[in-house]
Amino acid sequence: MCMITVNSLTVKYKDLCAVDNVSFNVYEQEIFGIVGPNGAGKTSTVECIEGLRRAYSGTVKVMGLDPWKERQKLYGLMGVQLQDTAYQDRVRVWELCDLFSSLYRDPALYDELLEIMNLNDKKGAYVASLSGGQKQKLSIVLALIPNPRVVFLDELTTGLDPHARRQMWDLLLQLRERGLTIVLVSHYMDEVEAVCDRVAIMDRGRIISMGSINEVVNSFNLKTEISFSASLHDTGDIEGLTGVVSVARKRDVIKVCGHGDECVAAVLKYLHDNRIAYSNLAVKPPDLEAVFLSLTGYTLAEEGDSAKGGGRG
Amino acid sequence: MKSGLIKLAVLEFKLFTRNFLSMFFLLVFPSLMLLLFGGIYGNEPEPIFGGYGTVDVSVPAYAGIIVSVTGLMSLPLAVCEYREKKILKRFQATPLSPAYVIISQVSVNLLMTIAGMLLLFLTGKIVFNMRFMGSVLPVTAVFLLSLLSVFSMGFLIAGLAPSMRAATAIANLVFFPMLFLTGATIPIELMPELMRNIARFFPVTHVVKAMKAVWLGESISSVYSSLLVLGGVMLPCFFLSLRLFRWE
Repeated sequence: MCMITVNSLTVKYKDLCAVDNVSFNVYEQEIFGIVGPNGAGKTSTVECIEGLRRAYSGTVKVMGLDPWKERQKLYGLMGVQLQDTAYQDRVRVWELCDLFSSLYRDPALYDELLEIMNLNDKKGAYVASLSGGQKQKLSIVLALIPNPRVVFLDELTTGLDPHARRQMWDLLLQLRERGLTIVLVSHYMDEVEAVCDRVAIMDRGRIISMGSINEVVNSFNLKTEISFSASLHDTGDIEGLTGVVSVARKRDVIKVCGHGDECVAAVLKYLHDNRIAYSNLAVKPPDLEAVFLSLTGYTLAEEGDSAKGGGRG
Repeated sequence: MKSGLIKLAVLEFKLFTRNFLSMFFLLVFPSLMLLLFGGIYGNEPEPIFGGYGTVDVSVPAYAGIIVSVTGLMSLPLAVCEYREKKILKRFQATPLSPAYVIISQVSVNLLMTIAGMLLLFLTGKIVFNMRFMGSVLPVTAVFLLSLLSVFSMGFLIAGLAPSMRAATAIANLVFFPMLFLTGATIPIELMPELMRNIARFFPVTHVVKAMKAVWLGESISSVYSSLLVLGGVMLPCFFLSLRLFRWE
């Protein structure tokens, strides 16, 4: 079932077009990622879906409701974590939970949520005394208190240490198992690869690629990178192998870039057949990070300074 | 929803009581000053105060401190903090409008200002057997006008300040002159001519002047010029702060 439908959404700030004719669907019980560089229009898009921002044109429906006009009905069905919200320093964890519970008709038991997040021993603590990770977890608790069907998480793990980030990812997967639909805004590619079922890549207000992680990565037709150490002086033969695009050598480290698995097979066969001793072999298939970098690289190379004024916001 | 409003107001009240500086300047400092100066000078009639005692004239003057603490410090800083921390925006994504967050802030500050004034009144009454010559209605009316006028300045500070830090700086810059140069702490009768003329430009001077007058039983019409100043400050401040107001 379709939880969210976004159709030709455009958001403008004065002359700036922050979101430019964006359309996508989010289906029930999936984790949908929106990624892209800073200023790509991710947050603006999500804020329109959350009913916090008015669309300049286009339509947004969440469970069939218009988030701007029918926000009161929707706020009981959606949970929201905003990008870097803080809370009052001298408010206690349970007091915030208690307040948020009183705003909804059928709230979840916040004691249970605090327990899932490992925050139950912090119930009486001041929010100011929580660590960055604990504060983010509290934000999620508050987002889940409405017993929502869909949750929006914006820059969930910014500022968290690697351990806390992985805990968050596990949690998101658990939440999906419990039937939630999650929209995740991020500029961390590893995070998106770890949890998202589908992803939309945004750049300068537009969606430039959308689908499963594999579909998106493949759509950019990027190269696999094979690197190894070997005392090999002439790399001309390797350049001629199937699928190989470029070969670079730095001291005894040789980097081969090429397309597809046959390129890897060809390089390995060449090394084997010619009895070339090698070590530290690494094969790095293209990933979302590479897509992201190629995107930003493309912008710099092709459009240079003229890109700076382009619709960011 | 209704229980949400009550919970919100109760929480804002609790948060206010946890703010040490506000609590101290609102509830402790004025009574402490009264105990100090009342202790030194007693409450015998003094010619410089027109035949009234030090305590008799200090209590209405300290109303100027009390409304400044809530109106110029506590309120604008809270509003700025809530905006900067995106707490107001967070409430936009709940069934409860963030307008209620502002409303409960104002209510809590109003209530606490009145509580501060009552406490000071009781200290004067119990410790020094202070005389209160006014009648309740004009004193209440002048106190409420003073409150609204100073609160409107607070809202203007909140509207003008681009950040919490700026708000703190502006609030301090406004608050301390209002504390010492208006007769709120140091009696205006003790100031030289030049200082008195400067003091006329501070709205809180008129709070002190009007409060003193009605407190000591003079008619409300005797201080109409001060009331006009307070009203004249309030209207443009509220108008401007409404125009400048932003949720984030």
